[in-house]
Amino acid sequence: MPSSASNKGCLIYFLALIWLLPMSAFADAFAVAVKRAEMNIQGDRYVLSADIDYQLSPRAKEALQNGVSLFWVVQIKVWQQRDYVWDKKLVYKEVRYRIQYHALLNMYRVRNESSGEVDNFSTLPAALDLMSRVRDIQVIDRVDLLAGERYLAGVKVSFDRDALPLPLRPAAYVNLQWYLSSDWYVWSLKN
Amino acid sequence: MVPEKLKPPINFTVLILFGLILLSLQLMSSATQESSQLSEMYSWLLLVNALGSVVLLGLVVANIYSLTRQLKKREAGSRLTTRMVSLFVVLSLVPAAIVFYFSMQFLHQGIDSWFNVEMDRAMEDALELSQASLDQRMRWHLKQTQQLSERLADSSATLATLELEQLREVAEASEMTLFSRQGRIVASSSINPSDILPSLPDEHIWLQLRRNSEYVALAPIREDELMIRAIVTVNAREPQYLQALYPVPVRIADLADSVEFAFVRYQEMNFLRDSLKLSFSLALSLVLLMSLLAAIWVAFISIRNIIAPVKELVKGTQAVASGHYDQQLPVIAQDDLGFLVESFNEMTQRIARARDETKRAGVEVENQRAYLETILANLTAGVISFDADYKIRTANQAAYRIFHIHVSHFVGQTLLNLAQDYAELAEPLKSIQRLLVQSDDEIWQQRIAFLGPNGRQELLCRGTPLFSQEGGRVGAVVVFDDVTDLIQAQKNAAWGEVARRLAHEIKNPLTPIKLSAERLQHKLATKLETSDADMLKRSTMTIVQQVEAMKEMVDDFSEYAKPSKKQTVTIDMSALVQEVLALYALKSGVTFKADDEASLLMVKGDPVSIRQVLHNLIKNALEAIDPKGHIEIGLHRVQKNNADFIEIALYDDGPGIKEDQIEKIFEPYVTTKAKGTGLGLAIVKKIIEEHGGAIWVDTTRKIGAGFIIQLPAYNY
Repeated sequence: MPSSASNKGCLIYFLALIWLLPMSAFADAFAVAVKRAEMNIQGDRYVLSADIDYQLSPRAKEALQNGVSLFWVVQIKVWQQRDYVWDKKLVYKEVRYRIQYHALLNMYRVRNESSGEVDNFSTLPAALDLMSRVRDIQVIDRVDLLAGERYLAGVKVSFDRDALPLPLRPAAYVNLQWYLSSDWYVWSLKN
Repeated sequence: MVPEKLKPPINFTVLILFGLILLSLQLMSSATQESSQLSEMYSWLLLVNALGSVVLLGLVVANIYSLTRQLKKREAGSRLTTRMVSLFVVLSLVPAAIVFYFSMQFLHQGIDSWFNVEMDRAMEDALELSQASLDQRMRWHLKQTQQLSERLADSSATLATLELEQLREVAEASEMTLFSRQGRIVASSSINPSDILPSLPDEHIWLQLRRNSEYVALAPIREDELMIRAIVTVNAREPQYLQALYPVPVRIADLADSVEFAFVRYQEMNFLRDSLKLSFSLALSLVLLMSLLAAIWVAFISIRNIIAPVKELVKGTQAVASGHYDQQLPVIAQDDLGFLVESFNEMTQRIARARDETKRAGVEVENQRAYLETILANLTAGVISFDADYKIRTANQAAYRIFHIHVSHFVGQTLLNLAQDYAELAEPLKSIQRLLVQSDDEIWQQRIAFLGPNGRQELLCRGTPLFSQEGGRVGAVVVFDDVTDLIQAQKNAAWGEVARRLAHEIKNPLTPIKLSAERLQHKLATKLETSDADMLKRSTMTIVQQVEAMKEMVDDFSEYAKPSKKQTVTIDMSALVQEVLALYALKSGVTFKADDEASLLMVKGDPVSIRQVLHNLIKNALEAIDPKGHIEIGLHRVQKNNADFIEIALYDDGPGIKEDQIEKIFEPYVTTKAKGTGLGLAIVKKIIEEHGGAIWVDTTRKIGAGFIIQLPAYNY
């Protein structure tokens, strides 16, 4: 059986995937982006504070209004840059947010899945506002960072498509309205 | 035929692959159930199945491509494969498409049937009812809080704490807090004494409070606990706010929760309706696509397996058609096709056997023919076979020796055609043709005499008609022998017998006659008168002379009839001819010409006899010509019938030989001369024939007479 034909099929499929991947970059109108992020020293630790801008697409808003919960994961990463070997990852942390609309109370409920904290808001911007302000997340001990080495910190907000209801998922991979993740926001960490 | 285990057309790996495809589809199908743990893997499963479809599509396309190439090359079995695959695809595609169409219809209608206007309305109404019920409760609690707040109007801060405890118990609130205008906690009381910090209103509430001077709302204090938060202004010297938290009865809270859950679920489902349809359709399409592609692929494999023996058969048949009878095909399966293949193998074996036998028989026939041909070729008798139209089919070497016409000129010709081409043989050929035609179905035998290039020849011909197995006449065979020599020998023998008799019967009385005559003369000569004595003398002289002559004649004759006693030596013909010619040197007009190389003109024979031949011939010639006439003698070496001969040609320019005498000139007592015994040429011919040679009159010569002698050449 000649395998060239099936190889060709696979190749076309992967090319299509590669073509689809960078499309998130063009979805500015409803993009999610990290506006500002910094690490401050509090006592012996580095503490992250970041501002994130959530601009929901009409489709996402509609889904939210209709009772679909949306999940975002704030990913925090610190790694050591090295010259001749690959970078060494020091810390990886996730903060997971869930936003849900309550019809009975006419409220938006934001739940920090990591800490279990729940907040209710009567408007969506207020709810998003809470999610936007990431404050006081302890990331790494100062002693873990050695003097003279270069360290980078990065923050990214990812929209968890796999947490969507199942029927929405295939569309979420194809429809740009569901590309609601930010790029990595990376800055160098000064010890 | 030994019944073997039937082999399935599809091998094990294909079955495993099929199992994997089914498993993957089943997993995807299960994943669509929301509660399933596979739900998280849904996207991956979808991707895996899509990839699987692409791989299957690739396999099918590759198969179609290779089939098209085979079709273009007109390979054996490709057309049958195409027909079967097309049939299978159509047969599987049509019902699958119909099922798919109706499944889609049912799916869409089924999903749509979940939602209708009444349901919508009922859901919204239920939610509104819950909200109204809670609203009423809130207003009631607000009013209650307002009434309670009046009792706090003039109390001091210390008093307020005590009062608050009391009020809370009266109002059955879970928590009561008095805030200053700036939001500071003045006093607080909780049903749960461990709660040190009361629930604080957020900025949003403060804003509303300042605007309306009162606030009431449902507050989800904890996730699973619903409270009614009521805040009113206390009209004291310094305005203060009283916040009371009332628990919603568990039953009501549960009901509200339930209604909300149902409403939200319904909303969500309604919102996802299209997506749901899409994803179900996608799953269904993927299932259909994969099963169809897999089926087509397996169809390709199994059809190829089924066609394989047919392909082999076609190849085998082509091989047999082009003459390769030793073609044996492998028996793949013990089914009908296997039986066909076995039969084919048996057939080719039989054909091969039959061919071998035919070949053997052919070789045998050929050998037989060659054998017969060899015998025929070596026969001294000429054999010519004719077809039904009297065209010559075969002729042997002896026919060539007799007629001096090459065998290749015989074949395909009629005798009449040959007679036209070879005028000198026209007479015998025509005679044979006539006999063939006349004989009908009889066997005939006839002697034919004619004058050939070597003189008079006599053939004994015997014709036999040939018949086919059905009895029809298909030709004839003519066998002929050159009996010239035989007849000559018979004649010679007859003459010999005559000579012997003559010698015996005539010569014996001659001696007494002669002796008697001499005695008469002897006795009577003295007694008679002179005249009588003279007459007697003359008479006896005559008698004696005639007796002598007669004796001489009888001697000659017996000499001719008697086989000569030869002494054989090697003779240089050139020298011999010159030696004889020397005797006639006085007579001019004789020219002699011989081949240059004397060593090539040697014969083996009796020089005395040969010399006599030359004497006889030269004497004859000299007698025939005028005093001024010419005699020409040539001596050459010639080749005839693969043998070398020394040819002596003797020509004169005399009156020549009359045509009616040419046939008989070598017989005894044939002479054209007034004087002579008529034995000269007969003796010449006898000597030449005794030496294995031949002499004949050269009939082609028109002036004078010509004799040609051929003697076997001696090679050393």
